[in-house]
Amino acid sequence: MMLYTLDQVRRCYADRTVLDIDHLEIETGRIHALLGPNGAGKTTLLGILGFLETPTTGRMTFRGQPVETSRAALLQLRRQVVLVDQHPIMFSTSVCNNIEFGLKIRGMEKTERLRVVDEVLETVGMRSFKCAAAHELSGGETQRLALARALALSPRVLLCDEPTAGVDVENQGVISVLLQEINATRGTTIIFTTHDRLQAAALAEHTLVLESGRPAATTYENSYTCTLLSDKQGQLCCSLHGRVKIPVALLLPEDQQPRKGRVYIDPEKITLARIDHAGESKEGVTGTVMLIMAEGDKIRVVVNIGVLMVVLMDRTSYRLQSPVIGERINLHFTADAVTVLSACQRDS
Amino acid sequence: MSFFLESFFAAFHLVGSLDPEMLAIVRVSLTVSCIATVSAAVIGIPAGFALAYSDLPGKRILITLLNTFLALPTVVIGLFVYTFISRRGIFGPLDLLYTQEAMVIGQFILIVPLITALTIAAVSRVDERYRRTAQTLGANTWQTALVILREGRFGIAAAVISAFGRVISEIGISMMLGGNIKGFTRTMTTAMALEYDKGSFTLAVALGLVLMAISLGMNILFNLIQGRSAR
Repeated sequence: MMLYTLDQVRRCYADRTVLDIDHLEIETGRIHALLGPNGAGKTTLLGILGFLETPTTGRMTFRGQPVETSRAALLQLRRQVVLVDQHPIMFSTSVCNNIEFGLKIRGMEKTERLRVVDEVLETVGMRSFKCAAAHELSGGETQRLALARALALSPRVLLCDEPTAGVDVENQGVISVLLQEINATRGTTIIFTTHDRLQAAALAEHTLVLESGRPAATTYENSYTCTLLSDKQGQLCCSLHGRVKIPVALLLPEDQQPRKGRVYIDPEKITLARIDHAGESKEGVTGTVMLIMAEGDKIRVVVNIGVLMVVLMDRTSYRLQSPVIGERINLHFTADAVTVLSACQRDS
Repeated sequence: MSFFLESFFAAFHLVGSLDPEMLAIVRVSLTVSCIATVSAAVIGIPAGFALAYSDLPGKRILITLLNTFLALPTVVIGLFVYTFISRRGIFGPLDLLYTQEAMVIGQFILIVPLITALTIAAVSRVDERYRRTAQTLGANTWQTALVILREGRFGIAAAVISAFGRVISEIGISMMLGGNIKGFTRTMTTAMALEYDKGSFTLAVALGLVLMAISLGMNILFNLIQGRSAR
């Protein structure tokens, strides 16, 4: 069953469109990850899914019913969905009162409220903090308390905006495990935003990548802000942070000026080549192997070419090439490796 | 110099002996100022909250006007209210002139803009995430408003204390609308002015000491609240 469907949903601020989704479906009972760079519209989309923001245009359904924007309808919808902010804020009272807040306004009795408070504090491993002042907790503890405060309400959907950002490694692990537990034991649909593709791959069954407010058919990694310019032969190149130029399979009109844009380089369309004794190849670009790891039936190689670039190799190619960490190596891009995601204003 | 010292010692003696005339004056002052402050808080706090969170077209102009009213001299308010409640005024038949009620009305007008403006400042400083958090936890409009008021409570309390300090120490309104009638509308400030005119400093200094003690108490409370708010 589809939990949400969004059709032609747009969110504009003044003359700026921050979210532009033609069609999106979110399945119930799963963990979904929203990936994308800063300003891609992830938080705006979470706000819309949490019924805290209203789309400027478009249609939206929740559990098969069209979403109405009347105050009473929104209140009913909000009571089924809880959003945990990237930097959650605690009411300036005790941990217990913070968790009780949502239960109290739902009219739950005191004894039952206290039972739920104990239960969720146990779940997040913060039982001993029950009487502590909530706004004096550390970042990781605050994030866990925010999860407990949301969990106490037994929401159908838990929305988490970068749940592990600004949290130490130990708490990152705790929070990731918690999200999986909540989904597995309570059947809560979880939608979280992240910059970390590996975290998304580890936790989520579905991943949506946003680029400039639009869903993008990429895997998020190897997406770069660049300057698009033409070389002497009129060949379009993308210059990544002024450090490395990669050809793009498009011809530019002669009068084309350099433009800012974003490109995606398909990690499976990059090949590695060893540098022979004659020196570094004039074709492709050269970089240093930084990281090698297995990922399913592929091998992930991260190469520093001035920016970190991910190359996904099949196991046969990996055995043939056998790159070594720290080794200088050439990267070759197939003609269709680079996709221009957006080309905006002129680069002055 | 000895004259001042004698006045001070006599004043301390008056305060220490709980002189009935002095106590009556203090009682009138506190009664009028407390009623004016509570009434102004009942109107000013919701008005400030509504203004801070509304999208009224003339919101900025309204706030500018409010800030202008903060500098309004008490004698101007006294004169303004006088034109309404004097015998020839439209509220003349109510016989309000030279009553405690008239003083309350004047003081109310004096501090409503102050409480409203300080409430706007206090709730505007409340982190926007409190509103969003309350909403996502299922709070309706009123419950969300209560959360914001709760988080801004120290700033709002400071606004009310400031307003009380303003009315307890004002003289223009009390003199013009109260008339300084002994035992009825004589407040600490009007009594001090009268005693000064008579050249009798003992009661004036004693009342000054009480006023200073009240102001000191208010400031201590204000600082305590600000200290808690900053934490």
